[in-house]
Amino acid sequence: MKAICKKELRGYYLSPIGYVFTGVLLFFFGLYYYQVLLSLSSSYITYVYSSLFTLCMMILLPILTMRSFSEETRNKTDQGLLTAPVGVFSIVLGKFLAAFLVFAIAMAASLIPAVVISFFSSPDWPKILGTLLGSLLYGAALIAIGIFISSLTQSQMVAAIATFGVSLLLLLVGNLSSSVTNPFLSGLLSWISFDSRYQPFTKGIFSIPGTVYFLSAAAVFLFLTARKLESKRWS
Amino acid sequence: MIEVKNLSKRYGENVALDNISFSVGENTVVGFLGPNGAGKSTTMNIVTGYISASSGSVTVGGHSVLDEPNETKKLIGYMPEVPPLYTDMTVREFLNFTYDLKKVTLPREKHLKEICRLVRIDNVYRRLIGNLSKGYRQRVGLAQALVGNPPVLVLDEPTVGLDPKQIIEVRNLIKSLGKNHTVILSSHILPEVQAVADRIIIINAGRLAADGTPYELEHGQSGEQKLVVRMEGAPAEVQHALEGIRGVLHVRNFGEKEPRVYEYEVDGRGGADLRRPLFGIAAKRGWPVLAMASSELSLEDVFLRLTGSTYLSDNARMLSMKGGDRK
Repeated sequence: MKAICKKELRGYYLSPIGYVFTGVLLFFFGLYYYQVLLSLSSSYITYVYSSLFTLCMMILLPILTMRSFSEETRNKTDQGLLTAPVGVFSIVLGKFLAAFLVFAIAMAASLIPAVVISFFSSPDWPKILGTLLGSLLYGAALIAIGIFISSLTQSQMVAAIATFGVSLLLLLVGNLSSSVTNPFLSGLLSWISFDSRYQPFTKGIFSIPGTVYFLSAAAVFLFLTARKLESKRWS
Repeated sequence: MIEVKNLSKRYGENVALDNISFSVGENTVVGFLGPNGAGKSTTMNIVTGYISASSGSVTVGGHSVLDEPNETKKLIGYMPEVPPLYTDMTVREFLNFTYDLKKVTLPREKHLKEICRLVRIDNVYRRLIGNLSKGYRQRVGLAQALVGNPPVLVLDEPTVGLDPKQIIEVRNLIKSLGKNHTVILSSHILPEVQAVADRIIIINAGRLAADGTPYELEHGQSGEQKLVVRMEGAPAEVQHALEGIRGVLHVRNFGEKEPRVYEYEVDGRGGADLRRPLFGIAAKRGWPVLAMASSELSLEDVFLRLTGSTYLSDNARMLSMKGGDRK
């Protein structure tokens, strides 16, 4: 697992992808923070995360995960991984951790403006950290979904677009729930909705159901990825 | 070391492997031979645990590939048809990654240097794999299989893309590895397998067509002995006399090849040496024997025959009579 994680991190940061990801993310964070400064109130910082995150993540995370397995399958390098004495779970977990680290590093860097602001003002740290934690959990679930989708196809483009579609659906499914009349269906839709799970975090609440939900979603998709990889061996 | 039992692999309707069984002992080099698409790579992929079999079992070093995948994978170094190389890594990085991936415990620097020296890639050690030529990539693929010094090496067409000098080098390397490794290599090039393998397994259309040492295949394949003779004498009489020899199954007259000289093909039962009785009869009847050759099949013929070529027996005859002037 360590070897694969290391190799993936190398891959992210030796190719432009890691830098483009971090750069673009930080650029937009900077832009939003600038607006916060213009509004002269640090209480808006959480909006930076809650509004930007959902927008940027939908587009950027699929790019981070699209090559994960699709490239390996296409270049037949998966043959090397799958015939090495490592379990499929280690392979999947290694890939997941690497992508998550790239994401977490960028997210951590996004706190720099907030830290700077804290020298002059007293931003609402519980809210900011809560939002950051929520974002990391949300991101972890999306990364797992992205990795799963990339294990289904050999084309990076297909993986990226499909992941984008699924992420967007999971975001919007909550809005649907208000327009559905069937109470069961409406309840189910808002239960699935990633956004409604994410909202408590933005209020500075450490939501245990939300944490469990995102972590379980990540675990389920990582499990499915491992099964998908292993299916070659037992199908 | 490797035990393959009743292995079958189906892709939907398509049968890629049909009930293949063989076993490979320690320290031998086994060559898989077969035309393209015969099932060589499929067999190798199943043995190395990359894909599953539809039915049948594979054990490596006593461990089942299906039930204890990690145990068996530890024992195997695999070089697939397309070597699994990351083009954005240098050779050094890639071999170190493989070293970590396989959780090797041998002294890192020394072990990797040794491998690079063996497959002669030390001069490109710090270069990007993406910039290497096909021959070098192939050798990096071989190096990757050798990392960790596994007792079993599975090499899928190891010499594809190499120049003739490199081919000889790699063959010699495989030969020397075969002294203390179990090696399975595949090829559709016969001389290659012949040059390095102690044993040849011929696969055709998913079936095991033959299994034996090169010598056994050359001599024992047909189970019969064939003589091609040119004799002077009345053809009907000669044919009748030849058919009367003990052990002869069948005599064919190929017609008049020289004035009053006819060529016959004599098929005999396996083991019986027909040359002496034939000479005896010819001498008794006063029929000069102008040429006699045993038409044993060359390995090439065996291969072509097993893999379904038709022009064979004629080809074999011509090969055996090379040098004879025919009209």
